[in-house]
Amino acid sequence: MMDYAVQQTLNALAFGSEYALLALGLAIVFSLMNLVNFAHGEIITIAAYTMYLMVVMAVGHPAIVIPMALAAAMAGALLFERVAFRPVRYAPPTTGLLTAFGVSIIVQNAFLLFVSARPRAVPVLGSLNQTITINGFTIQTLQVMEFVIALAAMGALVVFLKRSTLGLAMRAASREFAAVRLMGIRANRVIATAFAISGLLAGIAAVFIVARRGSIEPDMGFLPVLKAFVACVIGGFGSLPGAVLGGFVLGFIEVGILISLPAEWGGLVDAVVFSLIGLILITRPQGLLGHKVELGDKE
Amino acid sequence: MSTPRPNGAMTRAAIGGLISAAPMLLLGIAVLLFAEPWVVRLAYASVVAIVVVVGLQVYVGNAGGVNFAHTVFVAIGAYAAAILSTPVAMKAIVIPNAPFGLATVSIDPAFAALAGLGIVAIAALITGVLVVRLSGTAADILTLCLQIIAHGIFITWNDLFKGSQAFFGIPQVMNLPGALLVATIVIVIARVFRDSPAGVQLRASAENLMAARCFGVNVKRLRLGAWLLSALICGAGGMLFAFFIGTISAKSFYFSYVFLTIAMLILGGMRTVSGAVIGVLTVEIGIELIRNLENGPSLFGIQLPTMFGLSGLALGAVIVICMVFRPNGIMGTRELDETLFEWLFAGRNSKKDVQS
Repeated sequence: MMDYAVQQTLNALAFGSEYALLALGLAIVFSLMNLVNFAHGEIITIAAYTMYLMVVMAVGHPAIVIPMALAAAMAGALLFERVAFRPVRYAPPTTGLLTAFGVSIIVQNAFLLFVSARPRAVPVLGSLNQTITINGFTIQTLQVMEFVIALAAMGALVVFLKRSTLGLAMRAASREFAAVRLMGIRANRVIATAFAISGLLAGIAAVFIVARRGSIEPDMGFLPVLKAFVACVIGGFGSLPGAVLGGFVLGFIEVGILISLPAEWGGLVDAVVFSLIGLILITRPQGLLGHKVELGDKE
Repeated sequence: MSTPRPNGAMTRAAIGGLISAAPMLLLGIAVLLFAEPWVVRLAYASVVAIVVVVGLQVYVGNAGGVNFAHTVFVAIGAYAAAILSTPVAMKAIVIPNAPFGLATVSIDPAFAALAGLGIVAIAALITGVLVVRLSGTAADILTLCLQIIAHGIFITWNDLFKGSQAFFGIPQVMNLPGALLVATIVIVIARVFRDSPAGVQLRASAENLMAARCFGVNVKRLRLGAWLLSALICGAGGMLFAFFIGTISAKSFYFSYVFLTIAMLILGGMRTVSGAVIGVLTVEIGIELIRNLENGPSLFGIQLPTMFGLSGLALGAVIVICMVFRPNGIMGTRELDETLFEWLFAGRNSKKDVQS
């Protein structure tokens, strides 16, 4: 029983880490330019297909595959920013959301067109996932790694935001972009950095997603980002600590419902999860860490 | 000038609605006169899409924000029509264990449609009360939650909805002329709502919420009204679909359909009813042309390879290009009749038009 509890807690922490990483990427971009980046999931897909490409080219060592996947994720995020999001930077939020949604459709269909609509196996990261027993507890190494690496990445992000000039500029820009530009810092640099960070975080999440699934497909990014999106809203949209908290809350809600629902109601897991999220939204529309905003307030 | 006669404005809106519907009607009549059966089926699907997208426009175009839950009402309408009107003998095969004794009753499709609209209205009021409490991203996400919750119920409740399998045996009582009639009525209703005092107040509240509230606009009640009307129109679209095809499944109303209809509205322009019509027609015709390419046609004797995903690629590209260069869609902020009028009288009335 104790064993089961430990396993499920780790499971929830692993899912929570994945959602938190993705939600952080969404929140960083949103806090700077009010863009709800629906195309974030496609960064995962790009990283995953990079891994697939490496496997096809017979470069199958994790030490090469993982850095390449992270690089591809960052490059993809920067490319999205330059090609699609820069032209709509000053447009209303809905325009940005819909642009992102168009980018997402393009990328999914490009992989569908040039690779395949069917899932493809990427067995290269399977070696990361081993079951070990410590003091009688059965533990999946992948889950522990995911949690530890996610924490490390978040720690690094905090250090970057607090200690570096660019990090300071980013934090300032989320409050008042004009002032940051008046201090002589280029808006393009700040925003490109935000996208690079969000790409890197999504790349890390992608490595773990692929390691867990062992296969890839064109629309694999949709569901994780939907969850990350929801994590952001639970925590308060645009708040970075909120995104992390929301990610972990969602991970625990999901695992909790998964183990408490009877098996024949399996199709209802998402419905119950999203009912709970709907309840959180209705009772606290500003999110768990957001401050109260009246309908119509500017700030 | 400052106090327009409401009746005059409403008549003008109704006529404008007919002009908005004209492209659809002209294409529809051409199809009825000249086309082969498979084109008629395609045209029917487009008319259903027009009804659904106009339904979406009624909420999104007037109240602002994004709605991911409109196809829930399409599904509710389709399932209500299916469950109420499917013959008892057929139900014995499809849903023999339906709750509430529904397996043993079957009513005329016309009454089933009315009852279905009632069910859609109840569902819309329950969800609408929750949605209008929120604003901005929280409201968008809540509609997303509703979509996922409803889909979960549809695919899990095997006894009533036949779960993830297709529900078949629905009486196929509709045809293209009937659908065109329904779509025209829906377009006129949407147009009259848009130009009614309620519609104008709602659009004003979407532009500037504070200002609208200062003028005493009851934003929540208006939003609820738009949500209800939008749901009823979408529900009607679902019924049109079910009564023609005869087979429905929950999966066909899920995210791919949500995104396709949203894309159609964006392309046409979400601020106008004409935009909804033009958007659907453009996307449907475009996708059909590209679909021929996807299947690998032979061009000048050369067999081209099959290219699945090309239509999706083009759809995405169109959205991005549209957002970058024409964020308000093809129609922009003016209805078709307004654009036509301006174009026809461009020389004489242009100054007056700007003022009014």
